[in-house]
Amino acid sequence: MPALIRFDRVSKTYPEGDAPRVVLREASAEVAAGEIVAIRGRSGSGKSTLLNLVAGLDSPTSGDVWLGDVAVNRLSPRERTLLRRDRMGFVFQFFNLIPTLRVLENVVLPAELAGRGPRAARERALALLDRVGLASRADAFPDRLSGGEQQRVALARALVMDPPLVLADEPTGNLDDHAGEVVMQLLDEMTRAAGKTLLLVTHSREVAARADRVLTIEDGHLVAPR
Amino acid sequence: MLPRTLLATGLRDLLRRPLHTALLVLGVALGVAVVVAIDLAGDSARRAFARSADAVVGRATHVVLGGPSGVPVAAYRDLRRHESVQAAAPVVEATAVSDTLGRSAVRLLGVDPIAEGPFRDHLGGGSLRAPGFGRLFTEPRGAVLSATLARRHGLGPGDALSLRVDDRRLELRVLGLIETAPDRAAALDGLVLLDVGVAQELLGRGDRLTRIDLILAPGASPAAIAAGLGPGLRVAPASEQAETAIQLTEAFHLNLGALSLLALVVGMFLIYNTITFSVVQRRAVFGTLRLLGATPRQVFALILVEAAAAAAVGTLAGEALGYVLGQGAVRLVTRTINDLYFVLAVGDVPLTAGVALPGALLGLGAALLAALPPALEASRVEPIAALRPSTYESHARRLLPRLASAGALLALGGGALLAVTDGVPAAFGALFAIVLGVALAVPLLTATFAARAAAPMGRVAGALGRIAARTVERSVGRTGVAVAALTTAVSVTVGVSLMIASFRATVVNWLELTIRADLYVGAPSGGGVRATPAIDPQLPARLAALPGVEAIETIRRVRIASEVGEIALGASDLGAAGAGLYRFAAGSDPDPWARVEQGALIVSEPFAHRHRLAPRGASVLLQTDRGRVRFPVAGVFYDYSTEEGLVLMGRATYERHFEDRAVSSIALHAAPGVDLDALASQVREAATGRALLVTDNRSLKREAMRVFDRTFAVTHALRLLAVVVAFVGVWSALMALHAERTRELATLQALGLTPGLLRRLGLLESGLMGALAGLLSLPLGALLAAILVDVINVRSFGWTMELRLEPGLFVQALAVSLAASLLATVYPLWRLSRREVAAALRQE
Ligand SMILES: Nc1ncnc2c1ncn2[C@@H]1O[C@H](COP(=O)(O)OP(=O)(O)OP(=O)(O)O)[C@@H](O)[C@H]1O
Ligand SMILES: [Mg+2]
Repeated sequence: MPALIRFDRVSKTYPEGDAPRVVLREASAEVAAGEIVAIRGRSGSGKSTLLNLVAGLDSPTSGDVWLGDVAVNRLSPRERTLLRRDRMGFVFQFFNLIPTLRVLENVVLPAELAGRGPRAARERALALLDRVGLASRADAFPDRLSGGEQQRVALARALVMDPPLVLADEPTGNLDDHAGEVVMQLLDEMTRAAGKTLLLVTHSREVAARADRVLTIEDGHLVAPR
Repeated sequence: MLPRTLLATGLRDLLRRPLHTALLVLGVALGVAVVVAIDLAGDSARRAFARSADAVVGRATHVVLGGPSGVPVAAYRDLRRHESVQAAAPVVEATAVSDTLGRSAVRLLGVDPIAEGPFRDHLGGGSLRAPGFGRLFTEPRGAVLSATLARRHGLGPGDALSLRVDDRRLELRVLGLIETAPDRAAALDGLVLLDVGVAQELLGRGDRLTRIDLILAPGASPAAIAAGLGPGLRVAPASEQAETAIQLTEAFHLNLGALSLLALVVGMFLIYNTITFSVVQRRAVFGTLRLLGATPRQVFALILVEAAAAAAVGTLAGEALGYVLGQGAVRLVTRTINDLYFVLAVGDVPLTAGVALPGALLGLGAALLAALPPALEASRVEPIAALRPSTYESHARRLLPRLASAGALLALGGGALLAVTDGVPAAFGALFAIVLGVALAVPLLTATFAARAAAPMGRVAGALGRIAARTVERSVGRTGVAVAALTTAVSVTVGVSLMIASFRATVVNWLELTIRADLYVGAPSGGGVRATPAIDPQLPARLAALPGVEAIETIRRVRIASEVGEIALGASDLGAAGAGLYRFAAGSDPDPWARVEQGALIVSEPFAHRHRLAPRGASVLLQTDRGRVRFPVAGVFYDYSTEEGLVLMGRATYERHFEDRAVSSIALHAAPGVDLDALASQVREAATGRALLVTDNRSLKREAMRVFDRTFAVTHALRLLAVVVAFVGVWSALMALHAERTRELATLQALGLTPGLLRRLGLLESGLMGALAGLLSLPLGALLAAILVDVINVRSFGWTMELRLEPGLFVQALAVSLAASLLATVYPLWRLSRREVAAALRQE
């Protein structure tokens, strides 16, 4: 399996007064296409930072983050926007649904931003909503949905462009055990079945247990847990 | 460019926040309404003027005009036979005040119904067949008036119509009404027609006409025709009078235009604030949109589309509101024009495309312009904002020094502009640059001052005081804008108020100096400065003979032609007694009144300014009954009665050059110890049968001040507007500030900040902002006043006045700043207190 993501001696330092805060120190790792990888680590260890680097939301202080054969950190802002739009799906801790869009519209949105024909995008969005069990709520606004339901909509939205890579930052962090379990089950099935790569930040041992592999951030390095 | 779904997020957001959207719509509507209303008023006044000029002048190409005593009828007889004259019509014209017609001023037009044909077909021609018109020849006291005017006052054929013209009372009878198509009715409104011979007799004009209307053959030379007439007569293009009148009101229209611009700026400020607030609140949404693939350009367009949608609704509402306001504004404008310039009857006030379209374009344009900065802010929201709190503030703070230096440059540029130019628009431009420049520097001052205030406020109010000061400093991106707006609004108010106070004080001083006789006798006129009522020339001698009258002064006011166009001329019989009546500008002759007795002129300051005359060595060429004569100027006197300017000559000089012997008003000095009320009754008795007004010194001054205050009534609206701006600025800044600090405030609440303490924190913050703005606006306001008084007023009107810095106005400014900012806190605080702390803690 070729590596889809490759961290090549990635360092990240945040300036903070006289003593800069070093979060990542020459961290290196690879994630193969189709792999499901959980990232763990203490709070403040740099998990979200790592994910942001992959998404091109933040840039490393040194080193490169490769996605396939492009170094994400060397792209222009516009190229990054297009890369995210076309090749990545996002699931957030706080769902981040657009409050002024109905459930179906939320799911269709990325496809529409990418200029896809409305009919095909709608069909795919409906199919995904059906898959996450929310087809009947397609016309509701997000504030009518429970947290677990909102996260399932976010899941459908993350997959509507059929991206090879899904990034999820504590997708269950804001849900109770049961709702979290339902979301994880869906995330697991839907990415695995389509052969997608999933990079998942989590605190929970149960969630991490679903992954093919776990990476831990320790003292700025990416290591496999003992 | 904008996908449908993205569009929906924006438009639905407008629906989901009715209050926010209402404010947005209000901002646009406010600006458009004021612009449309003022435009409507100005436009209607101008059109009414053009129409009435048209009704009076008709198709005439030229007019023959004489001096104050008019044109002899003989000239008309000659002209009728002149080969280059295709048609000629005699006209006697006067301004009349009518009790029957609601005390409004009307135009009295004496015409020859037969000669009228080619000139005014709504008077002659078609309507000659109207019942009653033919009887103008036979009925000695008959008049015809427009059907609209008659109906408005419930008059019909056969009814009595009483008028006052000069010092005469006329009792007329309505012979008939002129019915015209509705679109022409307005032109005739305010017009009363008589036979020319009847008018001559009733007005005591003898064999004199006001003017002769001509239609010249193509290629005819007016100069050649004039050469054949007497030395006192001239042939002028028919449009000349209308142009003079329009020039007179130019400054007035300029001021109105400035006012509507101000309203537009206020509207823009409202829009800017409202949209900024909504952008701040939706940072996470924009972050998410960007993360999902929306480009910065799309987010930018989204905000502009939202603004345009609200602006479309606001523009419609603004047009409707403007139409309603316009009806009121028209009355206000007409009244001022009637007070100050000439008689005008404004009929209908339709909302024409010429007014509606610029209003709409201006509204939409202003809304988009105001939405530009927040749209940029929204488009710059990084995708990571979906996950992380804001980065706006550090960005804003880095901008402060740059903003301040740009402001300083702008203000200096404004100062330089003042120094090197001498036009009015340039002065307004400079004023604007200075205000804007200072406003740009305010955020830096706010941050600096607030940082300094943290320690003392901590000593007084504890931790809350420190938090308040640091919040104002740290969130200067929001608070700086609010303080800048507040400072601008309050300093403009201070500046204008100081200017008016200075002007008022100057006028009061001037009235003390010039109105020094005990009683004044004049004819009531409704024609503003253009009216030149004539009083029987025998009257002064009769009044001088009354027991108890020590001395008498007369003045004759007329309008005559000169090398610089039509001017206002006064003939005074003061002689050496004039000394002390006016203050003279530096450079004037040491004893100007002695020179006046020898035949020189003195001119008022606005006149000298307008025509660029030096106090000494200048001269003016006047058209007299004896031909064109050049008079030396002996001095420039300070006078505030008219911005048009005034020329004074001695009575003896006047009588040498003009045939007119009437006077316009008489001033009486009573002997010491004489009872003024008794003297006034004696004067009234002596003037029995004449429509004369006897006024004492005090009421005359009071009346003058009443007109003064009425002229500046419009500035009350300005002050109100300024307070509204101040209020809205602080209010929306606080809303944005609270939205940005949702988590911080919720945390404080969770930590035990009671509702009472929360209120105190809010009040400390806004109080600090208000105090800052108040302090900053004092020097700026004084500077504005100085520019208004010493530059703008001098340049636009040529009036010198003394700047007076009234301390009361400064105290008032401080109070307004504080009150506006404290009041603006009420709603945001209430909203804050109703929020659920737990939910807010999670949110960002
Ligand atoms: N913009 C920033 N400026 C300064 N320091 C930052 C910034 N963003 C993150 N950090 C620091 O980098 C470190 C890693 O942050 P990160 O958000 O990646 O942690 P995390 O592992 O996701 O923690 P958690 O499990 O609590 O979400 C933290 O110590 C944080 O303080
Ligand atoms: Mg994290």
